[in-house]
Amino acid sequence: MDAVERENADRQKRWAKEQKVGEGTYAVVYRGREVATNRKIAIKKIKVGQFKDGLDMSAIREVKYLRELKHQNVIELLDVFSSKTNLNLVLEFLDSDLEMIIKDRSLVFLPADIKSWMAMTFRGLEFCHRNHILHRDLKPNNLLTAADGQLKLADFGLARDFADPGHKMTCQVITRWYRPPELLLNARYYGSAVDIWSVGCIFAELMLRIPYLAGDSDINQLDTIFRALGTPTEQEWPGHTKLPNWHQPSTTYPKTPLRDLFTAASADALNLLGKCLVYEPRKRISALEALKHPYFFAIPFPSHPSKLPKCAAQVAVRAAEDAEQANIDQNSTGPGVRAAEPGSRKRKLNSPEEFRARSIARRLDFAKQANSP
Amino acid sequence: MSVDSPSPAPAPPKKPLYEASTQFKHWRYSQESLADVRSKLNEAAVAVIRQTFEAYEPGSSSNVSFLNANEEHLLVTFYVTRITQLCGHFRFPEEVEATAATYLKRFYLKNTVMDWHPKNVMLTALFLATKTTNNPISLEAYTHNIPNTSPSDVLDLEFLIAQSLGFEFAVWHAHRALWGICLTSALQQLPSIPPDYAKSQSSVYDTALNHVRASRLTDAEFLYTPSQIALAAFSLTAPEIAQQWLESKQTLSESSPTKIGSGVLGSIETIKSIIINAGQRPETEAVREVDRRLRLCKNPEKVVGSKAYLARKAEEEKKAEERRSRKVASTGEGVDPFGDELDQPKPSLVDYDDDDDDD
Ligand SMILES: Nc1ncnc2c1ncn2[C@@H]1O[C@H](COP(=O)(O)OP(=O)(O)OP(=O)(O)O)[C@@H](O)[C@H]1O
Ligand SMILES: [Mg+2]
Repeated sequence: MDAVERENADRQKRWAKEQKVGEGTYAVVYRGREVATNRKIAIKKIKVGQFKDGLDMSAIREVKYLRELKHQNVIELLDVFSSKTNLNLVLEFLDSDLEMIIKDRSLVFLPADIKSWMAMTFRGLEFCHRNHILHRDLKPNNLLTAADGQLKLADFGLARDFADPGHKMTCQVITRWYRPPELLLNARYYGSAVDIWSVGCIFAELMLRIPYLAGDSDINQLDTIFRALGTPTEQEWPGHTKLPNWHQPSTTYPKTPLRDLFTAASADALNLLGKCLVYEPRKRISALEALKHPYFFAIPFPSHPSKLPKCAAQVAVRAAEDAEQANIDQNSTGPGVRAAEPGSRKRKLNSPEEFRARSIARRLDFAKQANSP
Repeated sequence: MSVDSPSPAPAPPKKPLYEASTQFKHWRYSQESLADVRSKLNEAAVAVIRQTFEAYEPGSSSNVSFLNANEEHLLVTFYVTRITQLCGHFRFPEEVEATAATYLKRFYLKNTVMDWHPKNVMLTALFLATKTTNNPISLEAYTHNIPNTSPSDVLDLEFLIAQSLGFEFAVWHAHRALWGICLTSALQQLPSIPPDYAKSQSSVYDTALNHVRASRLTDAEFLYTPSQIALAAFSLTAPEIAQQWLESKQTLSESSPTKIGSGVLGSIETIKSIIINAGQRPETEAVREVDRRLRLCKNPEKVVGSKAYLARKAEEEKKAEERRSRKVASTGEGVDPFGDELDQPKPSLVDYDDDDDDD
């Protein structure tokens, strides 16, 4: 065996794969354990053979960026190894996401909870932007939460670096409801402000408990934004009418104060929200500035992550898994035991619908589209 | 001003992010450790290949003249120059070329040319680099433009290369650092900058860039930081400005031990001499000679279709077969304390048959 193969085999042995927990557009995700410590991990398995152009771009981006980024609020890539024709990403185990939490009607969010999630989101994002990396797919579903309540940016399949400001980029990124107006107008030069808009939408969604700017088509999305925030004037967004996809809208919507919709929000919260949703990308607040915004320093202070609301379903699954694990540990000779067979049976017995529901392929079909140079 | 136009350069980063990179952590060497890695790799490879020769035909290895570490290195360097040619042909950006060169060079810190010929590795490394730098091109378009190359030639090695790189795809490049130096030196109004510097600046950049390109034929990137290499290249072009730029930097960053630390002057001089002395295309004759000998000493197990290759494949297949039957036996015979209910493999994204955890 070659040294390289041997090294790969050694890596592989460090991780035990248990049952399947989800399926995305290009990968299947399994729960697993680190053999040495018994720590819970996730293995994202990507079959490489299915792509005629070899290793697929989403996988490459995800590996490239997560290999470099180590931060409390960015999902940690623990290891990468290959098995035959599959690429396996070993990730820290994060079994809940903000979308599930927002949708769980049994949960009540305190203003301090929202502030805590926002602070963690901005911290993770500031770190990405400081490293000149754009995420380009921020939405509640990609903000995962750990058992201890920490929020982590995940899914770097659309990320790219923006070290080169004069570089044309594709505007076909970011899920529609979270996509900023400049991308809807097909701007090809853009920057970190695109992610900030998405965070603004997420902020609003946390307060409203439903998506804030939910357009039902790409064309309708812009109209939805204008309706909510007023049609932009040349003054507030110089040059926007020269963007490739601009069409003079038939109706001009007036500005309505955010306060009309967000009746319960504090003035600080609305001020920060407004700064994330500024039309002119260059005037939008940066992640670093956002972290210094008075909102984060005003009372109530952000909730401690461990005190944040958690999905009841997820808590139940965790308890079941832990019980199961204890059961296995009792019957086993050591921590390295394979729990795959009994585990997958049990999963079927409990089979929470959440797991199905979470696996809706949500990657937009343009995600795989290559950048035109 | 239109939004759809390049915005001005963003503020330079405050913290040396480079020091958190995989490049900084895993791909830096000293001259000695680099030589050591290469000679150990070479010795191990020769031992294995010699054994393989003997196993199939006793006595057959005695008159084979194996390559030594320097010869292997010469061949790899030659194929770095081939990357440049191909990139010119495809009009790939600098980023792609620089990344592919780094991949090729890193690959041969983990592998030997006697197992994997750099001609093939180079083609795959370049294809991989187009993707990792976000300049993807279809495999068909790629191979169509390269004579005698089929898509599978490129794909067959992609995984091996990615593995050899430790899946560390991000590379910090000297040409980017050079751009930064040129911009800031122009802005700083250093004393010796001639009045028309702004105009001549692009030619200073171009000349320095050529030195950076030459550095890719050397070990500089394994020994020094991208900024140091960039500064050396700049210094070869405009020594006085480089000197002043460095001084201004050092007073600025007294407190932060950044990329350009103290004792840097000596390093810069060393890099300059490395670029001048080693930054050249290897002699064609010497390369030809090494390549000719490589044909006789390459690992027969890696030559598709050879007796040794087929024997190895058969051996692997046998092992896999054993593994499969073991698996069937263990799941079929109620090792599962809860009884039957086997997971039926269904057609899906991943290869369910791929029993990763078994060995
Ligand atoms: N780190 C993780 N820990 C635990 N479960 C995870 C983890 N990552 C992913 N999952 C589970 O696996 C599912 C699939 O994840 P993946 O990231 O491949 O796809 P996705 O984000 O749902 O969709 P897409 O691939 O379309 O972006 C997730 O919905 C989630 O249920
Ligand atoms: Mg995903």
